[in-house]
Amino acid sequence: MSETDKNKVVIPIGPQHPSLDEPATFTITLEGEKVVNAVIGVGYNHRGLEKACESRTYIQDLYIIERVCGICSHAHSTAFCMAIEELTGVKVPMRAEYIRVIVAELERLHSHLLWLGTACHEIGYDTMFMYTWRDREKILDLMASYGGNRINYGVNTFGGVRREFDETTSSDIIKTIDELDEHLKRYMEIALTETTLVSRLKGVGMLSHEDALNFGAVGPVAKAAGIGYDIRVAEPYGAYKEIPVKLITDDRADVYGRTVVRILEMQESVKIIRYAIKNMPGGDIAVKVPRRIPAGEILTRVEAPRGENIHFVRSNGTDMPDRVRVKAPTEANWHGVQHMLKSGRLADVPITIAAIDPCYSCTDRAIVVNSGDNINVMDWKQLRQYSIDWYKKEGIDITALKL
Amino acid sequence: MSREEEIVKELCDRFPFLQDRIYVQKEKRIFTKELSKEEFEQVIAFVHDEMGFYRSHHVIGTDEGDNLGFLYIVSGSDNILLILREIAPKSNPVINSICKLYPSIVLHERELVDLFGAVVEGLPEGPSYPLPDNWPKGNYPMRKEWNPKYLNKDTMTYEPPQEKEAENE
Repeated sequence: MSETDKNKVVIPIGPQHPSLDEPATFTITLEGEKVVNAVIGVGYNHRGLEKACESRTYIQDLYIIERVCGICSHAHSTAFCMAIEELTGVKVPMRAEYIRVIVAELERLHSHLLWLGTACHEIGYDTMFMYTWRDREKILDLMASYGGNRINYGVNTFGGVRREFDETTSSDIIKTIDELDEHLKRYMEIALTETTLVSRLKGVGMLSHEDALNFGAVGPVAKAAGIGYDIRVAEPYGAYKEIPVKLITDDRADVYGRTVVRILEMQESVKIIRYAIKNMPGGDIAVKVPRRIPAGEILTRVEAPRGENIHFVRSNGTDMPDRVRVKAPTEANWHGVQHMLKSGRLADVPITIAAIDPCYSCTDRAIVVNSGDNINVMDWKQLRQYSIDWYKKEGIDITALKL
Repeated sequence: MSREEEIVKELCDRFPFLQDRIYVQKEKRIFTKELSKEEFEQVIAFVHDEMGFYRSHHVIGTDEGDNLGFLYIVSGSDNILLILREIAPKSNPVINSICKLYPSIVLHERELVDLFGAVVEGLPEGPSYPLPDNWPKGNYPMRKEWNPKYLNKDTMTYEPPQEKEAENE
């Protein structure tokens, strides 16, 4: 071991996340406070949804697909519906396309509000966390009122949407987003002037324009590095073909830039929702789609709150798909995180990870424990036993607890 | 001539073997038919180096019966998705990694290894993805012949009927 290596310390973080309640490992190599290397381990809960889709009918798959993600469920179901509609040659009524856009933008609002609160919590700014989550609750109430559920609203179906959009829903949404719009102005002012927030986020988690392109970053991560890549603009779909969308970018390329981009995107979402409600055409909200889907393959993509969301569907002429592949935006942003962490400081690791708004599911898998030259790989049961034994040594016997 | 058709023409001029094996599916979608490993590697290097397809979106594995298919999705500044379809026999599913051209492809190529049993040469060292460490070796769940009902989750062994019958005898 060289003298340089002796000064390095390896810190395994995770699989419990340092900032969010989802699992991944971050093996951070430190030289003092400086991060010199970072290795990310993901895949702790591969749920096999794509395999499950192959043995279920398309309409059953729609409900599986909606559950790929709890936050951007509508983005996934929209991409999947678009694929089936293209394969069958069905034209979705424009009224349904407008409703899809309104729900998609409400989803973007609650996703970005959740992120903003979480990010502020990461840097100890819990006042902002409380404000943004208060606002998010109002959006979730709207979703519950319209779709029947706070998340997984079940709005989409093949050929359109499942619920009519009445006057009360429209006026409730307008009232809420008017209030939110005022709050967003305040949040933007805070983001631009609050010195603690600015100094805590500026220059942290840098990912340059070139690196963002190289590592395939998408969504606010790419936009904050000056990459004007937004599927609503690059390949307008549904009602986005008619509704003007302003492309938001920033050139700071750091966590601060990602914060500004998300706040500006929320303000843009408010405008899109207002436009969509004002210009929503009348007519049907759905058309019938056959149970058996003609053979073919299709690739659709939508702009989820976190970025590009790709769905591939291959049909074989039956009522079950031959292959379904979902690529969520976080998959694209992981490579960039590894790069962002390098050269940063240990204290900035949580906010840097949180800044891509990572989304991955729960359930543990294995952990590698480094102990000198010996490396022990522990599976879930061993890890659980290790945890029980560790607490016993501390005088706490959790097995004796009756829950 | 649309931009999509221009891309197809440029590729056909450069690679005569692509004639009748590349088509515009619709606006912003160009697909190729099945390409051998050698053909694919020539085309992907060319579109990356010479045609400005700098962004890699994904690689999708497919089960094609006796073969495995790999759909590489790349695009450039005009946001047209070019989908190159590489194929390899299941008996020898060896392909080369394209991570030197597209660093962001690594995670997706690891997935081909775990879920389809592809042998991706040139992948950098690192943790496998996405199956657990105690996953039974030689089991590739996204292949059509693999059935989840024969996976014993307690012992993490895969026990299809013919193996059980053989044991009884």
